[in-house]
Amino acid sequence: MNSYEEFSKKDKPTDYFIKLSETLSKLNEELNAFNVISDLSKLTNFPISVKDNICTKDVETTASSKILKGYIPPFDATVVSKIREKNTFSFLGKTNMDEFGFGSFGVNSEKCAKNPFNTSYVSGGSSSGSAIATSILKYHISIAESTGGSISTPSAFCGVVGFTPTYGSVSRYGLIDYSNSLDKIGIIARKSEDIRFMYDIIKGKDIYDTTSVDINCNNQNNKTIILIDELIKEINPEIEKLFLELVDKFSKMGYVIKHKSIPFIEKAIASYYIIAMAEASTNLAKYTGFKYGFKNENISEKYNQFFTTSRSNFGKEAKRRVVLGTFVRSASVKDMYYSKALKTRTLLINELSKVLNEGFILSPVMPIKTPKFDEINNFSPLEVYKTDMLTIPPNLCGFPHIAFPYAYLNGMPVGAQLITKHWNDYAIIDIVSEWENNFKYNFKYNLGSI
Amino acid sequence: MKIGLEVHVGLPTKTKLFCRCKAYATEPNTAICPICTGLPGAKPMLNKKALEISVDISNALNCIIEKETSFVRKVYFYPDLPKSFQITQKDMSVGHSGNLKINNKTVRIRRIQLEEDPAKILREDNYTLIDYNRSGQPLVEIVTEPDINSEEELKLFMNELKSILYYLGADIDQDIKVDLNISLSDSRVEIKNVTGLKNLIDAAKYEVQRQEKLIQTKQQILQETRSYSEAKLSTISSREKESDEEYGFIFEPDLTVYNLENIKPKEPIYTSIIAKDYSKKYGVSELQLLEIILFDKNSLKIIQTFAGKYEMKAILNALLSFKRYSKSEIKEKIIEKAIQLVQKGSYLDAEVVSALEKGEEININSNIVNTDEIDSEIRSIIKKNKQLLEDYKTNKKAMNSVIGMVLKKFKANPRVISERLEYVLSNEFKV
Repeated sequence: MNSYEEFSKKDKPTDYFIKLSETLSKLNEELNAFNVISDLSKLTNFPISVKDNICTKDVETTASSKILKGYIPPFDATVVSKIREKNTFSFLGKTNMDEFGFGSFGVNSEKCAKNPFNTSYVSGGSSSGSAIATSILKYHISIAESTGGSISTPSAFCGVVGFTPTYGSVSRYGLIDYSNSLDKIGIIARKSEDIRFMYDIIKGKDIYDTTSVDINCNNQNNKTIILIDELIKEINPEIEKLFLELVDKFSKMGYVIKHKSIPFIEKAIASYYIIAMAEASTNLAKYTGFKYGFKNENISEKYNQFFTTSRSNFGKEAKRRVVLGTFVRSASVKDMYYSKALKTRTLLINELSKVLNEGFILSPVMPIKTPKFDEINNFSPLEVYKTDMLTIPPNLCGFPHIAFPYAYLNGMPVGAQLITKHWNDYAIIDIVSEWENNFKYNFKYNLGSI
Repeated sequence: MKIGLEVHVGLPTKTKLFCRCKAYATEPNTAICPICTGLPGAKPMLNKKALEISVDISNALNCIIEKETSFVRKVYFYPDLPKSFQITQKDMSVGHSGNLKINNKTVRIRRIQLEEDPAKILREDNYTLIDYNRSGQPLVEIVTEPDINSEEELKLFMNELKSILYYLGADIDQDIKVDLNISLSDSRVEIKNVTGLKNLIDAAKYEVQRQEKLIQTKQQILQETRSYSEAKLSTISSREKESDEEYGFIFEPDLTVYNLENIKPKEPIYTSIIAKDYSKKYGVSELQLLEIILFDKNSLKIIQTFAGKYEMKAILNALLSFKRYSKSEIKEKIIEKAIQLVQKGSYLDAEVVSALEKGEEININSNIVNTDEIDSEIRSIIKKNKQLLEDYKTNKKAMNSVIGMVLKKFKANPRVISERLEYVLSNEFKV
């Protein structure tokens, strides 16, 4: 039995796709990876998947939450309609994720997604399904979303390229909100050229998203890589060693390497989680069991009881964020937490913008090695939040960043992340292309063809 | 007595505040979309026209208009609120720190904010219906300081405010909804959602009496929210609140910060000031003038056009007759003829008004009267025959003899005398 069959038998596509597109599920009698792949060969269009928190007309969209089970949006997200207009793509389905994007490892989902390189390891989250699908399919692009690292982390763990654009450059209309001032729709693909290709299609101002803007494409590359001391000081030694080798390679590619210390960057995690949870707790307020998704049939209950019954369907992490988010924006402590976090973000944007004018920030994606499922169980929520320390700064500030594989450690891919200033998105995609000329990707599977 | 108001003004925009749905559609749940029903993934987009109107209102109420404005989320759970938060304004509202003068007094305006209306709830016996047509309709909320100290001031303030809004074209011509805060002691009582001026005054009257009675009998006045019942002419407690509610306001991150510097506000019209000026200049009744122009742009225009050219008293008389007898809009050429007739001493009754509108020739002689003389004759006859008034209350024909008595003295059209009689009875004898 070869590894291809092993993966197919054990893991149903429903573990990484939440819902297959109608055409595909009709083709399949038994939903396993093998069948999906054989069907892919029948496709004449390029296969695309969409993270389950992005609305697709007439296709169930749940953001991996029980509370949205059965919700079929009557409209397409702007990114989806832009892709549909091209008529050259086939939608494979909606990809698995941590509920509403709440998670770093892809485990906050009813169906836990596994790492295709080794199924006892996590895939990373929250765009777990998007990264896995990209990692096993030869030709495939996934439309993913990042709030605090949800594209970079799973891309790094699954050995693919994950691009998070400047906040506002891709319309969020139709994206089920986690934290509106932080959410960014992005792209996961195997190669940087696919990222560039898809970014050209989905970017641009949309009247339905007030925060969206037309990207004024500059493409500045001053051949300088900046290492921030605070971002590389608490890295797992094995990862650190590999990362320093990567820095060496960039140096050989002609990049000047600079070191900088920004102590203030350590405030990013607190600021991020306060803003993210405050906004999330207001976004989740609408799920009351009235109009869509989970329906509370017990209509004789009083309002408070009715809402309580409906909202018990949130997962544990969602409940935690509603409680914490409601607390940090309550009148008596708002100045201490929410208002302060907003100020911190503004200060950090200013400070990091100055640094990014001098060059690109390079760091590992995660300070830890890809964890196994049983290791995750021992993490406290705070320890999990802390693992986001490298992906949060660019996400908090809306800076474009790209995660790419640069080494393999005991057969598991390891990813690094490049950050650049606002609107310089194409520059980092180009740098990854440059890197790809010197690097050989390993994929355990190369399933499907078109 | 301290009264503070939260006045909700429906803005006359074609579409809703944050989506392109038609505003003020009547057939329930026909003007709805993913945005105003709060579907997951939908985002608001601001109606710029609504923003402009809210700047007009802020400017008219002498508010400070900052360079920029932004929105907040006000979170609470209620079935009429599809997102479970209302998009409204707080610290960065369109206007703040304004005032409105009524007579010799200034009522301070705390804040003017632009916000979305929640859906409409219709409660039936065993079920509740929700109409999302109203969800997302544009509202301006005008929050005053508790500077109103009597029912009379309340009435003056509301009339002045409504007149300003009318002239700005800033309200949708529906009854304004007001939350009324009344305190006679330390406890603030809020009466929610009172619709219409009459109900507002009645609600205030009742609530003042209720609180006075509690104070006289040394009972405690609870800090609470009450609602007004038009049928019962009283206020009913809906919930007690010991402290301010927790709404967990945060900045609305789906909208940006909007620049207000480039919005040029419409010039406001203050009818009370115009009435005062004209009454001083032309010696007419300020109150009568105000009543005519308060909610009537056309009459104001006519007055402004003919002031100086004709006697102001004649202009007002002609306007009053037309407002009384004519259903169509007053035309400038026709009213000018009417004013000329009045100046010649003619009396404009329903027939004359109708003839003027049809462009017919008027035999002015039959209607030339001095209404002041007729009125005074009627007055003295009634005063001499007190029994007539008593009889009139049960028998409307009892006054017919008066017409005959007046005719003995004046050669005039009986119809005119009948009209004057009616006027004197209702205005001077209040019957």
